[in-house]
Amino acid sequence: MPLTSWSFAAGAAALSALLVLAGPARADIDDWKLLKQQAFGDRAIQSEDGMVVLEAPQVADDAALVPITVRVPPEVTQKLKSLTLFIDKNPDPKVATLRFGAAAGTGGERSFSTRVRVDSFSHVRAVLETEDGVLHMATRFVAAAGGCGAMQAKDPDTETVDLGKMIVKTFPPALDSNPIWSAQVMIKHPNSNGMQLDIHTASIIPARYVSKVIVKRGGDLVFDMDSTFSISTNPNFRFSFGRGADNDLDVAITDTDGTKFAAQSEPSGS
Amino acid sequence: MKDVSPYSCCLPRAISRHAFLRAALVLAASPLLRYVPVEAAEGLEVSEIAPGVFVHQGRYEMQSPENRGDMANASFVVGTESVAVIDTLGSAVAGRELRAAIRSVTDKPIRYVINTHMHPDHVFGNAAFKQDNPAFVGHYKLARGLGSRAERYLAINKMMLGDQAFEGIEVILPTLAVEKSTTLDLGGRNLVLETQATAHTDNDLTITDSATDTLFLGDLLFSVHVPTLDGSIKGWLALLDELRQKRAARVVPGHGPHMMQLPDALDPERRYLATIAADVRQLIKNGKTLEDAIQTAGFSERDAWKLFDQYHVRNVSAAFAELEWE
Repeated sequence: MPLTSWSFAAGAAALSALLVLAGPARADIDDWKLLKQQAFGDRAIQSEDGMVVLEAPQVADDAALVPITVRVPPEVTQKLKSLTLFIDKNPDPKVATLRFGAAAGTGGERSFSTRVRVDSFSHVRAVLETEDGVLHMATRFVAAAGGCGAMQAKDPDTETVDLGKMIVKTFPPALDSNPIWSAQVMIKHPNSNGMQLDIHTASIIPARYVSKVIVKRGGDLVFDMDSTFSISTNPNFRFSFGRGADNDLDVAITDTDGTKFAAQSEPSGS
Repeated sequence: MKDVSPYSCCLPRAISRHAFLRAALVLAASPLLRYVPVEAAEGLEVSEIAPGVFVHQGRYEMQSPENRGDMANASFVVGTESVAVIDTLGSAVAGRELRAAIRSVTDKPIRYVINTHMHPDHVFGNAAFKQDNPAFVGHYKLARGLGSRAERYLAINKMMLGDQAFEGIEVILPTLAVEKSTTLDLGGRNLVLETQATAHTDNDLTITDSATDTLFLGDLLFSVHVPTLDGSIKGWLALLDELRQKRAARVVPGHGPHMMQLPDALDPERRYLATIAADVRQLIKNGKTLEDAIQTAGFSERDAWKLFDQYHVRNVSAAFAELEWE
């Protein structure tokens, strides 16, 4: 019986206790001021202005696999320039930066989802840059701890054999009139963050993680993303893109070892 | 030297906790003896389900200071030469109670402590048997699985058990790793140990007692207590098909009654896992997400199991993360 799961209330208590065990709480230190300065300099950021919505669980069932979703409501008609995700208290707080291209789409709700590691109780932030150059931020607080050191694979041998396997799927909208499609990109990759222990050698597994993801529809860019090891093992991304003449996606991924992976979407609806 | 008593099915071998609590309640009702600490209970209830085969039935609970991690089945088999323990409960405190129950039955040396898999409620009592200097026996992947989770298991259990029940817990990895199968001779009977492909975990081990044809399935078999998935749902369903073809006089589940009969014992667990797999596959086919799945998949099983609310969502998440790669 796995002791990795428990009732919600017990979970919250357990996480509080783990945080205490982990040493002096850093929750009172405002990391964001520094992070913001590094990422955006003196630029103003509009917080919770409704242009971007962030969904994240208040308490994570599994700190190594916390689902987060960023939505841009359909009322927002501007093109999007970039999206940056942060987890303030993670060893590398910048989770990912996406730069959107011509095929990112407009005219409906746009979204981006992934699964992340959360190392201790932390604010999670989505900073969206719209075409007019204005920065908009949505923030959530997630109670989760230990997501970076946890070994997540249930069957590590199978995972090693399948490394690099990719699945790319596209999903047409319910109504043909909606110009926004959605898609999913998955890759089997340990996304090792250099914080996990190899029990056989009693040494730390060296960091190796997906650092670049480029998604194109035809020749047009949907997005170009720089990512870090805050993305969970077996990186998984769901996102929207603009309808084109044909809606096949090409995905190119590079990891920190320089290994390149590529895949095309399966025919939609398959 | 005490010997194994004649076969007497399901006869409690020590003061049962149930009987003790009943007595405690009677005492508590008396105005003179109001306070009777539960910790005063000595020994665990164990039942002899076949000659020389003893099983303690764990509670259908999460670990707590009150249950001391006594929440999985633990067994022991007595040969003419030695004793083998199969799983040691979830704390050194409970492990010591199990050892006391063994000692109330036999003085023969405890040569083997077998762990059916890596989970704390089956291995955290190991420390209670260090004094016997046994071989600690497990699947060859148990060390990796438990070793890499040890820190997290210890932290969670310290918090949930409390200091008193956590006292003495140590992570003890196998000193005898089973690669495929191994036979242990207890004198007059053999235990046949077989590693299984990834199912409940990636380090499940089954044990058959040659003398009584008793098959110990560990957490490959759950009854009443909702199954928990920490390995592979596809692997587990495939293994259940294999186990259906097996014959044994009786099987001992990791969580559930002292003993059950094949193949019927497997049916509820198979139905539960197959329901999750079918629901999750349909959701994936329809382009739904993990967050959608944990709100709907398998909920038709809710009334069939204890601890459903504690474990089901995690089971669905694990199944989803596996099946989305099909």
